[in-house]
Amino acid sequence: MIGFIKKDLFMIKSNFKLLGILIIAYTLMGFVGEIDISFILPFMSVMIMISTFSYDNYNNWDAYSISFPDGRKNSVKSKYVATVLMIVIVSIITTLLSFIISYASTKTINCEQILISMFGTIFGTLFVLSFMYPIIYKLGVEKARIGIFLIVFGLVFIGGFLTNYFNLSLITKAILFLEDYLIIILIIIAIIMVYISYKISERIFNKKEF
Amino acid sequence: MENILEIKNLCKTYDNFALKNVTLSLPKGMIMGFIGENGAGKTTTIKAILNIIQSYRGEIKIFGLDNRKYDKKIKEDIGVVLDDMFFPEILTPNDIDNTMKGIYKNWDSKMFDDYLKEFSLLPNKQIKTFSKGMRKKLEIATALSHHPKLLILDEPTSGLDPVARAEIIQIFQSFIEKDDCSILLSSHITTDLEHIADYITFINRGEIVLSKTKDELLDKYGIVKCTEAEFKKINKKDYIKYRKTKYEYEVLVSNKKDFKAKYDIAIIDKITLDELMVLMIKGEE
Repeated sequence: MIGFIKKDLFMIKSNFKLLGILIIAYTLMGFVGEIDISFILPFMSVMIMISTFSYDNYNNWDAYSISFPDGRKNSVKSKYVATVLMIVIVSIITTLLSFIISYASTKTINCEQILISMFGTIFGTLFVLSFMYPIIYKLGVEKARIGIFLIVFGLVFIGGFLTNYFNLSLITKAILFLEDYLIIILIIIAIIMVYISYKISERIFNKKEF
Repeated sequence: MENILEIKNLCKTYDNFALKNVTLSLPKGMIMGFIGENGAGKTTTIKAILNIIQSYRGEIKIFGLDNRKYDKKIKEDIGVVLDDMFFPEILTPNDIDNTMKGIYKNWDSKMFDDYLKEFSLLPNKQIKTFSKGMRKKLEIATALSHHPKLLILDEPTSGLDPVARAEIIQIFQSFIEKDDCSILLSSHITTDLEHIADYITFINRGEIVLSKTKDELLDKYGIVKCTEAEFKKINKKDYIKYRKTKYEYEVLVSNKKDFKAKYDIAIIDKITLDELMVLMIKGEE
């Protein structure tokens, strides 16, 4: 599987410059006290990983990769591992920068807030990954973009409908009650979410014929 | 003789095409030329061998092992060049080298590097900057650099000029000379196969219509060129197919010697694989 992960990382190496520029911009904006853009970087890394599907598709990599030992299995697994790695590494970098910026500008470090922000961002990006990858494997990256747009639109619509017509105070109370365990709960949900998503993608890919 | 690849009764059905009981065997140390017109079933057969397609019926054994049960073990020893399937073109040969180190146990970076030098391919250039011929050479270098025992090649010389083709064919020849390796080579360029193949297997509309040693095929088979009057005297059992051209009849026979002994027809030419394909596909029975 290492080879497959390396291949994906080689494919996105040209995007590392862009990520570097964004990290510098984030640091500068942090120092001048502008808005917090730390969540953008991990989201960017997911979007960059999604772009590898287009290159793979253009050169029929998926079919070619099946000719390698354990190709069918590793093709999907490596995509998930590479994306999670990217998310975690970029999130750690932005968190470290947040600590430095916080200390340099206020001489104090708000550990709790920074860590909650990091876990929240990781959870959000893993949700995007878990949601999008099975759709990409099923429909292909081009069709998936339209599918994803429709599904997000549908979710926003349903969310708006529920908040307007139903009393959501019970959910708010439950969140407040679980506040102390929020990070652990988010981690557990994220692991389950990514695992289920991976299994669905694997199933789709295993049935695929090229 | 030990077979390195054995296919028995391979069937696969699509809406508008079907592989019907494809059966073939490739002995160890031999090159099999796999010929047929576009859409005849060559690539589908190759995809089934490699499990790129899965819902097929029949039995495929490679190195004596079931190709589905021992997929991982088998693929460690297979090198492939597939038509229009390769690494994403934003990668460089160096990236491929580093990737393959993590895929094949026997990946040989030095061998890969030697091939790059031999083919004049720059290791740091993106694949998208290479010409079609250079890409093919890179695909071949990639297929050869983990010491495979079996090469499965789908149109490996298409897009190459005659000099490059001769170079590649030389490499294939040295490949089978060492360690009794074998090659299944599907190609439209039948002149290449006439040079290097030991066996020729011909597939038409999803069915194997002929699988013989090249020598038997080219020595025994022939094309009888005759007039209409002469053609009418030939018994149907004594020819395979015939074609009426503007000036004469071309008749495909499976044994030139026997035919010559039976009929008094002067012109019996040696057959080329191209002529064989055309007569088998376009000829009448």
